[in-house]
Amino acid sequence: MARVATTVLRPLPQPARRRGAWNGLLIAPTLLFLLAFFVVPYANMVYMSVLYKPPDGPYLRVFTLDNYAQALGDPFYWRILANTFWYALLTTAVTLVLGYPVAYYIARAPTRRRGWLLTLLIAPLLVGVVIRSFGWMIILGRVGLINTVVRWLGGPELPLMYNVFGIIVGLVHVYLPFMALSIAGALQNIPPDLERAARSLGASPWVTFWRVTWPLSLPGVFAGTLLVYVLAVSSYVIPILLGGNNVLVMPIIIVQKLLDAFNWPLGSALSMVLFGLTALGVWGYVKLMNRMLRWTTP
Amino acid sequence: MDDTLALPAAAAARRSPRPPAGRAWLLPLVVGAIYVFLLAPIVIVVLAAFNSGEYLRFPPEGFSLRWFVKAAQHQPFVRAFVYSLRLAVLATLASTVLGTMAALFVVRYARRARDLLRLLLVAPLQFPAILTGIALLIFFYATGLGTRGMRALLVGHTLVALPYVFLTVSTVLVGFDRSLEEAARSLGAGPLVTFWRITLPLIKGGLISGALFAFITSFDQFPISLLLISVGNTTLPIQLFDYLRFSFDPAAAAVSTVSIVLSVIIVVLIERLVGLESIYWGGPR
Repeated sequence: MARVATTVLRPLPQPARRRGAWNGLLIAPTLLFLLAFFVVPYANMVYMSVLYKPPDGPYLRVFTLDNYAQALGDPFYWRILANTFWYALLTTAVTLVLGYPVAYYIARAPTRRRGWLLTLLIAPLLVGVVIRSFGWMIILGRVGLINTVVRWLGGPELPLMYNVFGIIVGLVHVYLPFMALSIAGALQNIPPDLERAARSLGASPWVTFWRVTWPLSLPGVFAGTLLVYVLAVSSYVIPILLGGNNVLVMPIIIVQKLLDAFNWPLGSALSMVLFGLTALGVWGYVKLMNRMLRWTTP
Repeated sequence: MDDTLALPAAAAARRSPRPPAGRAWLLPLVVGAIYVFLLAPIVIVVLAAFNSGEYLRFPPEGFSLRWFVKAAQHQPFVRAFVYSLRLAVLATLASTVLGTMAALFVVRYARRARDLLRLLLVAPLQFPAILTGIALLIFFYATGLGTRGMRALLVGHTLVALPYVFLTVSTVLVGFDRSLEEAARSLGAGPLVTFWRITLPLIKGGLISGALFAFITSFDQFPISLLLISVGNTTLPIQLFDYLRFSFDPAAAAVSTVSIVLSVIIVVLIERLVGLESIYWGGPR
């Protein structure tokens, strides 16, 4: 009896505090892993981008800005960069237009159906991107599903793949769930009473949407567009498989420089340029949306 | 699969609870069409795999399992499949251990560094995988380690799988009742026994979900593998990618179908355990 009493009465917070020094051991291996294989490699890539590339070897430890001069001085790279950003913008716009109704429908659905809709939305994300591109190749190809139907109807053969259209279809397919989830998260936080109040005060569904729902969902819209844009800028598989060498984007060029031309300094510099310009765009966009959010929410 | 596709739209159209206007059917119809778009390429790959014809043509010429047989006899596919499985299992183990420990620390003990640690732990998910692959490739060569064998691949896969484990385990830890652990401790259980008998069973759902996400992330990983594979050791997505660039027969669809079935099993398991959407909405912000 006495033993039980003493164990129960033992002051509780103390053991936790005494173990405090050992708690750091929980994070140490992960921290070391991330430092060694994430932080250092990225820092090394920045370093690599200012090293000299001799004609006969990967690099020399000599400081130079030649790689940046090459990356920024060649109109070819600028054209590729412009294409990359343009496709990413297009993808973002289309995913927004398609993702919003999906998000709205999910956010307003009864719980059970919402679970189903979410599962079907997220499940495609767990299928490999090569397989999904393959699926689009079967649908969009010259003897693919759509062209077979069109030909059966007597129409001409449509160029659906190995061009910009094919890439945008593939990119939209991959990034649509991210957009829809971001917006649905914001929409769920809006009390339905607000919409009902607007309607009962005589606003039409259209006015209710533009004056109440849309402004309140803007945080989700901004988060979703930002996420999709950043992901789309760096996509590689889909432009290669669905663009079929007819459409070039920056990640394809960078991988070529690294793997085929073995030019690590230039490849690193090009990565930095892509990264830097994307970050610049994101920075401007965040400034803009902060101003808009302040403007729409009192 | 087609029935489930049509279900949300059709069901909603039939019994929409409170029609605000005469066009209540429009939204479910649009959403239904977008879901068809989302699932179409996956369904079509599965259909193509069971096609008995020589080429991927429409309409399919009949039902057959011959392409599965052909894929199973194609050595590069089999070897790549086994290699991908081994790699995914190892990457899952590594990322689950590292991610769980990190989540325990960040949720419970981190004070000032909490936000910074969270940013760092989720960063591999937010940095473009192709750039991470490039950075790792240069790093492994510059340090003289090289990318021979599985080492570099394993590091890369563990890196991108880690955030998923961290997020799912953090989610269950946030709602964790610590008095249960304190009770065990006060009743004389040591820290290890407490962890094994109390903590682990309670965070099991988040842990297994995280491990499943980690597994499928590694199994389907493309950009990092592309940069870090070594000669003679190819993963399944890379093998499939190479195959698709030169030939276009239904054997590739059969291989893809096997991979899709794996994904479906994992989706169902995660759904049963914690719900698939927890990874997006339940994660610590």
